[in-house]
This record gives sequence, structure tokens and C-alpha cells, in this order.
Amino acid sequence: MSRFPSPLALLIRVNALSSWRRLLALRHESRLLVGVIAAFLSGYLVLSFLLFDLGLRFIGRFPGLGSLLVERLLFLLFAFLFSLLLLSNLVIAYTNLFRNRETAFLLTAPVPVESVVRWKLIESSLLASWAFLFLIAPLLAAYGISNNVAWHFYPVTFVFVGIFLVIPGVAGAAAAVTLARHLDRKAFQLTALCAVVGFILLVAWRFRPEPVADEQLEARIQAVIDRLLVNTRFAQSPVLPSYWLSAAVQNWAEGALPVAGFFALVLLSNALLLSRLAALFLGRPFYSAASSVQSRSSVFAEWAWFRRLEERRRSMALLLRDSFLAESSPSEGSQPPQPLARWTPSDHLDRLLQMLRLPPDARAIIAKDIRVFWRDTTQWGQSVLLFGLLTVYIINLRHFTRQLDSQFWISLVSFLNLGACALNVATITTRFVFPQFSLEGRRVWLVGLAPLGLARAVRIKFWLATLTALVLTVSLTVLSGNLLRLEWPRIVFFAGATTLMTFTLNGIAVGLGVLYPNFRETNPSKIVSGFGGTFCLVLSFLYILTSVVVLGVGSPWGWRDNESHPGRAMAAWTVFVLFSALAGAVPLRMGLRKAATTEL
Amino acid sequence: MIELVDVVKHFGDVRAVDGISLTVPKGQFFCVLGPNAAGKTTTIKILVGLMRPNQGLARVAGFDVQQQPLEARRRLAYVPDFPFLYDKLTPWEFLRFTGQLFLMDDDHIRRAAADLIPRFQLEEWLHKPIESLSHGTRQRVAITSALLHDPEVFVIDEPMVGLDPHHARVVKDTLRERAQRGMTVFLSTHQTSVAEEMADRVGIIHRGRLVAVGTPAELHSKAGTDGALERAFLSITEGERQQPTPVA
Repeated sequence: MSRFPSPLALLIRVNALSSWRRLLALRHESRLLVGVIAAFLSGYLVLSFLLFDLGLRFIGRFPGLGSLLVERLLFLLFAFLFSLLLLSNLVIAYTNLFRNRETAFLLTAPVPVESVVRWKLIESSLLASWAFLFLIAPLLAAYGISNNVAWHFYPVTFVFVGIFLVIPGVAGAAAAVTLARHLDRKAFQLTALCAVVGFILLVAWRFRPEPVADEQLEARIQAVIDRLLVNTRFAQSPVLPSYWLSAAVQNWAEGALPVAGFFALVLLSNALLLSRLAALFLGRPFYSAASSVQSRSSVFAEWAWFRRLEERRRSMALLLRDSFLAESSPSEGSQPPQPLARWTPSDHLDRLLQMLRLPPDARAIIAKDIRVFWRDTTQWGQSVLLFGLLTVYIINLRHFTRQLDSQFWISLVSFLNLGACALNVATITTRFVFPQFSLEGRRVWLVGLAPLGLARAVRIKFWLATLTALVLTVSLTVLSGNLLRLEWPRIVFFAGATTLMTFTLNGIAVGLGVLYPNFRETNPSKIVSGFGGTFCLVLSFLYILTSVVVLGVGSPWGWRDNESHPGRAMAAWTVFVLFSALAGAVPLRMGLRKAATTEL
Repeated sequence: MIELVDVVKHFGDVRAVDGISLTVPKGQFFCVLGPNAAGKTTTIKILVGLMRPNQGLARVAGFDVQQQPLEARRRLAYVPDFPFLYDKLTPWEFLRFTGQLFLMDDDHIRRAAADLIPRFQLEEWLHKPIESLSHGTRQRVAITSALLHDPEVFVIDEPMVGLDPHHARVVKDTLRERAQRGMTVFLSTHQTSVAEEMADRVGIIHRGRLVAVGTPAELHSKAGTDGALERAFLSITEGERQQPTPVA
């Protein structure tokens, strides 16, 4: 046996030590902020446990069908989570294997590529799976309690889940290596985005709601359950790893230990086989893929038709620019275009911003931020995905309007829509607006030393983000109101609430982004996953929860009747406006003050 | 010793490296110069095994970088222009980690570090987190860790970035001293003065080709210039600039 630790053991030790120190660094953060985040996370666990417990007991009481529905629900949930884990492992493994400085460092050290792949596979699986564990822990706890299981159910389930996570981890990494050999980063992101959109459309089509005729209303529950059981049968396909996990967990809970053991062994053998295959055979393809990733200018540029198209587009832009200059130059002596024009092709964005009559410094910041956002496929891809999901949901509301005939349900759905829309905005502001200031990074002096100053630059970013988000949120609110066939006063009510919430959420994200900057990091998702980003998300969620509850409790329209309650509504709106102003303006003002006094 | 044999690398339809052949004997201090986007970094990436060439081969200390990667990397040290360091470790922990990756035991690491740490004046920073160090200090930590296992071939990209004149001198002296003891140095830089001062031989890469190689005096003779090496460099690259861009 070698007296030297293996490279894999060294890498695990070094990275575990780094993570531990990152955790210890929380001691230097404000206790209040750490407490708020800890309370939020614990609150989530407790609340989701209570909701799962309530839901499982409710479904379990269905006469004759309860246990069948619970069983199907678990199969379905694990099947969906398995698909999400596959996708998340694919994306994280790609970034971790091919866009990571540690990987490049290790490839020049005497570390076998197989060890590099093994370590990166472990790291990617952990990064991709912690949220999965966080999501299912309260569900499994609720399932165990509602089934009165023995104590050993919990540690055994934990082991089952741990084994299960290996499978999407290895499959995602293998898919990332295969794709990287053929696609560059942009093409990869586009493919991943198309795969997600395709998956959503498939799910939307498979589970599309069907209109229920009046004569069917009597037997509606039975029909819906029949339909549900038929449509969800795929989750019980015995080739799905999620099926093995669900079967192992459910059989253990029921005391059928030999059957549970069988499914656990199926899981274990597959996990071991896949890990062994990855350890033995993924090294060489990984090295080829890593070399390919560094060797490509663009996948599209490898196709002659694309190069010709680009060349034609460039020539056309220069031609337009030349003719524009020729037209705008004095007719006398009609001078030819300056040589400089050859290098500055026409730009629609600049022309559009000029039409808005904004000051040049504001134009420059806005144009830069829009270009950076547009050229980063991840940023607009995730935004499209989030708002796309919300749009699909809102458009599907039209199928339910027939069933939503009671005042209570109409109110509930419209307030839930407000919450969903605001949560979407919070996700977007935390993911994209919060890291904006940090992303100026080592170039922050460029903006900071310019005549406009950092504070004005931050203010411009706030307005740009808020106005862009407003276009989307108000449109979706009005659309959902129309589809729910709400009267105009209600639509205006919700549009007003959405507007104010959009301003506040952007204020929180911009303000905290300046208060908790990370100039070292260039990856926005890593900036967001730090302390400031987590705090921004927690604060945004707490703000949304409070606002929706306040507005719901003080709704101008009764929950059970259609009578108006102007006094209650006025009081609720006053609280909502004051709370929004406080929650948005305080971090924004603090951020602006810090930006104005930042030493570059 | 370093050998590059007819190395070609395409990026799409652009030839980033266009048939470079070069031998740097053991103990020679070789500097590579070139304008931006000339192909220097791509050549280095092929040499250290980060990238596979479309054609040709690279050897380090007699080992083919692609066919015998572990043998080659054990004898190699590479310091890029922005080296990777674990921010949450201390310089000592990082040195120990890299030493262990190169199969050095603790005694060996301590002995090697005992020479390098005072030389690069890292004592004060040795047990502080790397994330708190300045760019220059991080650069010194990276160079120290790369020299720890006493490599046969040392490849470094822009070593003087972020170093003050004192520490730049220390780096130059250390590399020169190691070269005299048999270490082959392959240094890429934009600073012609560094090449002029340090190099036994200088290569000029332009548009993916090795357009000139020789001692500073030989380059002057080729370019028909005298004085600073910068003149020869400008003369050679200006002459080459008239040529059309090579494509695959």
C-alpha cells in the first residue's frame, strides 16, 4: 500500500476543509442576519412538514383509494424529482468539469484524469442534490409519521436516498461529457433550455386539464381520479430508478422488509455499476471533451453556411451604416464615410436609447447591462424559463374558470396568483439583480471614477431592472385577471399591488447587492449562493408572505360573500404601502449611501 | 528538456498554432515573445497537456504529454498568468497539498519549503488565509508551490504581473539559479526587457508560427537591428504583419 494519500483523498480533504472554513466564516456575519436565515430555513422545514402531513392524511382518508393515491403520489413525486436531478446534475457537472479553474489546475498536476473526474462527480452530485434532500426531508418525515413507522425507517430511508442520488449524478456527468464533446457553452445552454422547455410542454400536454361538462359534475371526483391514475402510470415503470427508491421506501414503511431490501439492492447494484463505469471509462472522454471545449470558437462557426450568413449580416450592417452616414453628412461635397465607420457597425440598441432622450451616461450603463444580459444565455434562459412556467400556469387558468364559481375560490386563486407572480419576481431579482453590482468586479473603478459615480450607476440599474420587470409582472397580472374573468376594479387592485411589490423587491435586491458585494467572484450563481444572496432571498420571501397575507386579510371583497369592505381595505393598503416602502427603501437607501462612499 | 514537433491547433477555421517545432534543451532559459493573440498561450496549453493538438506532439523531459501524461506532469510545473489557489487554505496548507500531489512526504516538503519560503518572503503570510493576500503575494505562493517538487521543466506565463521590483528580482534570480542547476524554463511574456535580461534563447511567435528563434544577438542579426531587443521584435513582427492570416 502506498504511503502517500491518493489524489482523490487529498482533494476531498482540501475541499472539505475549505467548506468547513466557509461555514465558520458565518461567525463574522451579523448574528441577527444569520438568525433570520436560520429561522427562515427552520420555518420552511416545519411548515412544509405540517403541510405534507396534512395533505397525506387528507388524501389517505379517501374511501377505498387513499393508500393507492398516496402510493401513486410518492412514485410521481420521485419521478419528477429524478428528472429535475438529472437536469441539474447535467448543468452543474458541465460547469464543474469544463468551466472550473480547479479542474484546469488539476489537469496540469500529476493527478490521473480518472481521479479528477471522480472528484468532480462527487462535488457536482453534492451541489446538485442538497436542495433535493432539503425538499424531501419534510415529506419523508410526514410520510413516516402518518404511517406510524418504526424508528429505523428514517436512517434507512436516508441511506436509500443517498444511494439513489449516485444514479442521476453519474448519468448527468456522463451526459455533460458527451455533450461537451459536440457543443460549446452557448450551444449547450441552448440545448439545455430547449430540453427544459420541451419537458414542460410534454408535461403540460400530458396533464392538460379537460373541461368538465355539467352532467359530469356529479361523478367528477371519480373521473378525475381515474384520469390521474391513468396519466401517472409512467411513474411506476420498473426501469426508473425513482421507482426503485419509492418501492424501497414504501415497502420498508409497511414492514415488508424483504421486498424493500430487494429494491434497495437493485438501487445499490445500479449505483455501484454506474460509478464503476464512470470511474473506469469517463476519464479519457472527459479529457477529449475538455480539450474540445477549449479549442472551439463557436459550434455554429464550424458550419460553412453559418459563417456565410454571419459574413453577409456583417456586410449588410456596414452597408446600412455607410448609407446612414452618407445621408446624414452635408450634401455639398458629399464626403465618403469616415474610415472609423467601417469599425463601428450600426447598432439598433444605441439608436433606440437615443430616441428615449436619456442622458449619455445612463444610456451607456443601460446599453452595457442589456448587452451583457442578452449575451449570457444562462441569464435570459433562466428568466424565460421562470416566466414561461408562470405564463403556462396562467394560461391554463382558463380551463378552471368554469369550476371557479365560488367567491372563496376566485379570491384564493387570485391572491395565490399575486403570490406566485411576486415569488417569480423575487427569484429573478435575487438571481440577476442582486449580483449586478458585484459583477462590476475588478472593473468597478471604471464606473466609480466616471463622472456619473457609483451611486448614480446603482440608481440606473435599479430603474432598468424595475421597469423591465414591471412590463412582465403587470402584463401577467392583467392576463390572469382576465382569464379568471375578474371585474376591472379587481384587476386594477392586483396590478397596483404587483407594481408596488416589483419596486420593493428590486429595491431589496439592488440595495443588498451593494451592501454585500463579492468582487472576487465572476460567476453570478456563486455570488447569489453567498450570505448576501441568501439573505436577499429570505427577506424577499418574508416580504411577499407578509404582503399577501395583509392584502388577503384586508381584501376589499369578502371571502365568502360579494360585499365590499372599504374600511378594512383602506387599512390593509395603508399597512401594505408603508411596509413596502420600508422594506424596499431602507436597503436601497443604505446601498446608495454605501455606493456613494465606497473607496475604490 | 522540451520538444514541440510540428504542432498544429485549429480553433474553428483559424490556425492558432501553425506547425511550431522547437527544442529547448535541459537547463536552458527560453523566453517566448509575441503580440496579443499570437498563439503563445495555446502553445503553452498544448505543452502542459491542457489541450490536445490537431497535429504534432509535445514532449516534456522525454515523455509525450498526450501518451504519458502522468510521467510528463510529474516532471513539470506550470504557473499561469492567473494561477488557481484555494482561497480558504493558508499558503502552508496549499504548499503541503501540492507537495503531496507530487508524492512528496512531509519531511521532503518541509526541507524544500525551508529554502523557498524565506527566499520569497512568505513567512509572514504562511498561516493566513490565501483570500486575504494581495495579488503579488498570491503570485509568489503559486511560484513557490510550483518550484517545491524541483521540476525538470518550468513553464510560466507572464510571471512578473503584480510583482513589485524586489520580488520580480527574486523570481528572476531563482529561475536563473534553477536553470543553472538543470531546470528547463519556458517563460512567456510581453516584456522584451525580461527576455533580453534572462533568456539564453528567445522565440517569437506571430500568427501561430514561430517566426524567429535564437539568442538576442541572433534575433538582432536576423532583423538587421541593434540596441534593445524590442527593436528586433517590432521589426520581425511588423514584417510578418504584411502576410495574410493563415487559415486551415
